[in-house]
Parts: sequence; C-alpha cells; structure tokens
Amino acid sequence: MTTATQRRPDLKPLPPDDHAITVDGLTKAYSGRQVLDGLSLHVGHGEIFGILGPNGTGKTTAVEIIQGLRRRDSGKVHILGLDPAKDQARLRHLLGAQLQSSELPERLKVGEALRLFARLAGDIVDWHELRDEWDLGRLERTAFGALSGGERQRLFVALALVNRPRVVFLDELTQGLDPAARRETWRLVRRVREQGSTVVLVTHYMDEAEQLCDRVGVLSGGRLRACGTPDELIASVGGSYRTRFSCTQTSALAGLDGLPGVHSVTHDGDAVEILGDSSSGVLVAAELVRRGVIPTDFLVSGPSLEDVFVSLTEGAAR
Amino acid sequence: MSADSLTVPDAGTRPATQRGRLGVPTIMPLAGTEFRLLSREWAAMLFAFVFPPLMLVVLAGSFGNQPDEAFGGVLPSDYYVAAYIGIPLGALALLGLPIMVASYRERDVLRRFEAFGVATVKVITAQALVTCALVVLAAALVVAVAAPTYGVPAVEDPLRTLAGFVLGTVTMIVLGLALGLSVRTARSAQALGMLAFLPMWLLGGGGPPRDILSDGMSRVSDVLPLWHVTAAIREPWLGTGSGGTHLLVLTGWLIVGLVAVTLLLRRRNG
Repeated sequence: MTTATQRRPDLKPLPPDDHAITVDGLTKAYSGRQVLDGLSLHVGHGEIFGILGPNGTGKTTAVEIIQGLRRRDSGKVHILGLDPAKDQARLRHLLGAQLQSSELPERLKVGEALRLFARLAGDIVDWHELRDEWDLGRLERTAFGALSGGERQRLFVALALVNRPRVVFLDELTQGLDPAARRETWRLVRRVREQGSTVVLVTHYMDEAEQLCDRVGVLSGGRLRACGTPDELIASVGGSYRTRFSCTQTSALAGLDGLPGVHSVTHDGDAVEILGDSSSGVLVAAELVRRGVIPTDFLVSGPSLEDVFVSLTEGAAR
Repeated sequence: MSADSLTVPDAGTRPATQRGRLGVPTIMPLAGTEFRLLSREWAAMLFAFVFPPLMLVVLAGSFGNQPDEAFGGVLPSDYYVAAYIGIPLGALALLGLPIMVASYRERDVLRRFEAFGVATVKVITAQALVTCALVVLAAALVVAVAAPTYGVPAVEDPLRTLAGFVLGTVTMIVLGLALGLSVRTARSAQALGMLAFLPMWLLGGGGPPRDILSDGMSRVSDVLPLWHVTAAIREPWLGTGSGGTHLLVLTGWLIVGLVAVTLLLRRRNG
C-alpha cells in the first residue's frame, strides 16, 4: 500500500497529538438558541467514534465545526493537531466527509463525479481504481438522480475517500436505507477504517452504533452526556435485564420478587415482566420450573444502547 | 502509525499537478462539468437559444423595413438585431444561472464542495464562466439568424459596442448570482427569475420601441438594467449614441450586485 509520505514528497509534519480529534468546551448558538453548550470529547487515531443524540441536539453542527465548515463561538478544537478555524487549507487534504442530506446534481454521472472530485483533490488517487474498488463500474454512466439510496451512499463514501483522508466524517450515512442496504453500508464503513482512516459516525440508529463503533458519545442539550464503548455504556447506564413470559396462573408469581437480583415483578393480564440484574432471568426460570410452570414464550433481554440513549437523553430533557 | 509521524501537504509548495484546489486549476474542471450538466438541461437551453432568435424574427418583421422615428430613426430590423444580442443574456443570467445556483444550495451541493475545500465562490465563478460562454454562443446565434433574414447592420463603433456587451454580460451575471444566492429553492429562483426577466425583456429593448412607451413605463425602463445593456450595445453599434450613460448605470448595478453577492456569501457561513 502506498503511504501518504510516498505519495506526497513535499509534506510537512503534523503537530504531534495523542488524539485524532480533541474538542474542549465548544459552544455555538444560532439566533440566541444555544445548540452546543460546552461540548468536550476526544477521538483516538484509527477509531470508529459514534456521535449519538436526539434530533436538533447539535450533532451535525459539532462535526461541521470540527471540519472547519462552521465558525464556533468559543472553545478549543484540534483535529490531527490543527485548529480547523485557522488551518483549513491544510486540513482539507486530510479530511473526507459525507454530509447529511448533501447531494450531487441530478444529471451528474457517477464517472463524472469521481473524475471531478479526483481532479479537485489533485489526482492523488486514480479515479478508475476508486471506481473499481467501490464497485461503481457498472454505474459509471448512470446519472446521480437514477441511483438507489444504497448506490448513492457507496458513491458518497468513495468521494469522501478520493483524497485518501486521515479522518472521515459520515453524517447519517444510512438514513432512509432499507435493512440490506444499511448492512452493506456498514461493511463499507469497516473497510474505510481498515484502510487506515479514523471514522466519525453521526447516527441516530442505536444498532448501527452498537455494531460499528469502538466508542460512542451521547449528546444531549449541547453537551456530551456519556462516552465509552457500547458495552461500558450499557453496563453503567443501561439499566435492568428484562424477563418476559405469559402466565395464566397469577398465584404462580407469588414470591418471585424475593428472588436474589430481582428488582420488580409486574403483570398486565397474562403478560409478566420481571426486571432484575444479569442473573435474575436464570433464577426466575429455575423457580418457575420448580413450581411446574413452563411458559413457551420465556424471553430474557439485556439492556441495549437504546436504553442508554433513552435514559441519558430523557434525563437531560427533564 | 504514531500521531507525530503523520504528514500534511503544504498548499504553497505542492507541485503543479497537485494544485487542484487552488484558483484556476479548481475552476476549470468545475466549469467543464457545469458545461456538460447544463447541456443536458434541454428546456433551459431551448428557452435561451430558441426564444430570442424567434422573437427577433417576429418583431423585426412586424414594423416594416423603412427607417422609423419610433426606433430612433433607424430600420426597425436593425434596431432589433442590435437589441436582441442582449436578450439571451437576460434569459441566461436571470433564469438559467439563478436556477443553477439555487438548486445547488437547495440540494446542499455547495456544502459538499466546501467540505472538499472548494469554496462556494469558486463554484459560482465556474457557473458564471459557463453562463458567459453560453451568452456568447447565444449572441452568435442571434446574428446567425438575423444575417440571412434581415441582414446585420454595420457596427459603427466596435470598441464601445464590445464594452457594452462585456459590461452588460458581467453585470447581468453578477445580478443573476445574487438572485440565485438569495433564495433557498430552484423553484423560487425560477419564479423570481421569470418575474425579473419578463418585464426586463418587454421594457428593456426586446419589446415595443422605447419611444412608443408611456412616460410611466419609460421611467420603469430607466431603472431596469437590461434596458441599459441593450442600449449600451445598440447605440454604438448603430451610431445613434455613445452608450456612455448606460455604461455608467451598468457600473452602478454591477457594484450593487457585487455587494449583494458578498453579503449573501458571508451569510452562508454563519
């Protein structure tokens, strides 16, 4: 694989920085409405970092400021050791971006788009190689307006990589895609990281963040409410395990709330829900068997990133 | 790779082949792409290239072939041939260009280019250059249609005529850019562009001659930039005037347009 140094013999060293991105106390207001209110986070080199948050919570504003596309009101931002507000020209060669809801001209053909953006990037990459690498060959003469959602995203990812960026921003990449196209897009994101780029993924799909991200930051009220690996967040904020089953004999439920690790037992008609710690499901199952109750729809589910999201964002809203 | 071994190119020292994001080398590939895209917009092209010659043929043939006081003492056909050089300019600058700019804004194409290090001013400059090329082609088509039908009058003062054409083109294109940047959707740009173009066409030299307009309409015409474009071309062409006053008014409109474009571009990066 060709390294950045081999491609560009006249490169200047970047300032040393332990993190690919460092944000400290970032604020931004639009017409008096505070969108970012002291946002602080960092993204490590080579990570896939997910930014989650409710709509209108400032996710897109934050990544646009980090890329130098918007001015910040206050706070510090460093990306690859450079300040995006001052070093935009240098950073442009190091960043790639898929912007939320940003499109291309309807009649622009796929091959023309690749050729144009490769040319604008200084022909660092042969656009034919990029076309083949991202399986866009059969679409080369297809106009952008005639592409499916998944094909568009594949083109956008290819365009984001046309300058071999060190950091790639992907904003709501899979919005509006069907499940098969979403999974295909996830595969592409993993490939981007495998090629050596740091990826910042803005999404409101919890399963996407859980599947793809090494670490996740949850934004709400213009601040970072929590940050960590999906497992860490689920363990610390996710809440209880749920055990659900149907039972017609309510008398068989008596005393289940006294089992170790069980927090609560509720039932609505035949439907029973038991909240507890990670071992509660097994203990409840054993006790039901001992009592001769064997439900056919017995289901134990652990907390998810969605529970983390709801817990953090509802807490902030209150 | 450790963080401190990362490297970054310096725009100032990169070789010529890598100067993709600087000035002209950025604008030319953009302009080439824009030209191809515009050539696929057959409806807009039909209007810009067919409507002016068609109206020229109809109007120039409607007022006879004798010198007429209503036309400043020149042949009506000569009057319209000279004036209609400016009409496709109005159509392209007030309809084609604003729709092009506004559709890029509506679809967030401008921000995609910005994220790639290509400033909006470069994208709209490329679009303006393409419009300039089309204006020249459309003007040539008007002359080509006029030559075998009514004949092309001799150009009395070529330099001043050229000055009128160049300043008129630049001014109208800057005003078209301001219009395109001021609206959020292509549909709005089309509506406002029509609203601007139709009165300018009728009162700006493409419709009835100035001398048969009422005083009120003449005063309206005085304000419209397209009247000054057609007059700045026509007067030195036919030798009925120097076009100097019209050039001055156009300079004023150009300044207004440039200020508007600057403010609108600044607003985008809020």
